[in-house]
Amino acid sequence: MKKLAIVIRDDEYDKILTPLAFAYLEASEGAEVEILFVNWAVRALTEEGAKQLKVGGNHADKDAWVRERVTNAGLPNDINTLLKAIKEVGNVRFYACSLAANIFEVGEDNLIPEAEGIVGASWFLNEHMVSADHHQYF
Amino acid sequence: MSDQIKVDKVLDTSGKCCPMPMVETNKTLKKLAGGDVLQIIATDPGTQVDIPSWCERTGNQLLASNEQENLFTYYVKKA
Repeated sequence: MKKLAIVIRDDEYDKILTPLAFAYLEASEGAEVEILFVNWAVRALTEEGAKQLKVGGNHADKDAWVRERVTNAGLPNDINTLLKAIKEVGNVRFYACSLAANIFEVGEDNLIPEAEGIVGASWFLNEHMVSADHHQYF
Repeated sequence: MSDQIKVDKVLDTSGKCCPMPMVETNKTLKKLAGGDVLQIIATDPGTQVDIPSWCERTGNQLLASNEQENLFTYYVKKA
């Protein structure tokens, strides 16, 4: 695979792990990975937002347990550190959806340095989704 | 057979799970020269399919592999 495009919507800690693990895998193999964070997930691209991500729903009481298991698996157990680790691997770019950024109060001033910036969905869909070998939605 | 393989680098991923064995394998292999042999030790059973398919996809050669008491060992020659 040369290019993987991912759209992440779910911001529960356990749910965001899967797309980030897939991104980590493909980036380590040399693929270009483009990720658009939409809806609540856009807040993962801020330090404060990443800290607030929790295991949700039926498993909300298992947050500490999940983080311990993630550490045992060899991954950083906080999302901000994981984003940094993925970014260091190579051709990975994180984008904040402009609509989500507006609604959920994310601006250029509080984006983590690993993020490319705030972009329109039209640009992402046409520039990255169309040219990707594979798309994923989470 | 694996006793006869000259290993240039050992990567021990014991205890770690997907994606880390593959991420660390890719990272480690990048630092090796073509023809070098990487020995990968893993406990993640997913590597039994991940590593052979990765070798086919990337052109790296899986020289040998074995399993002993849930410990998986692979010998990969860098393309």
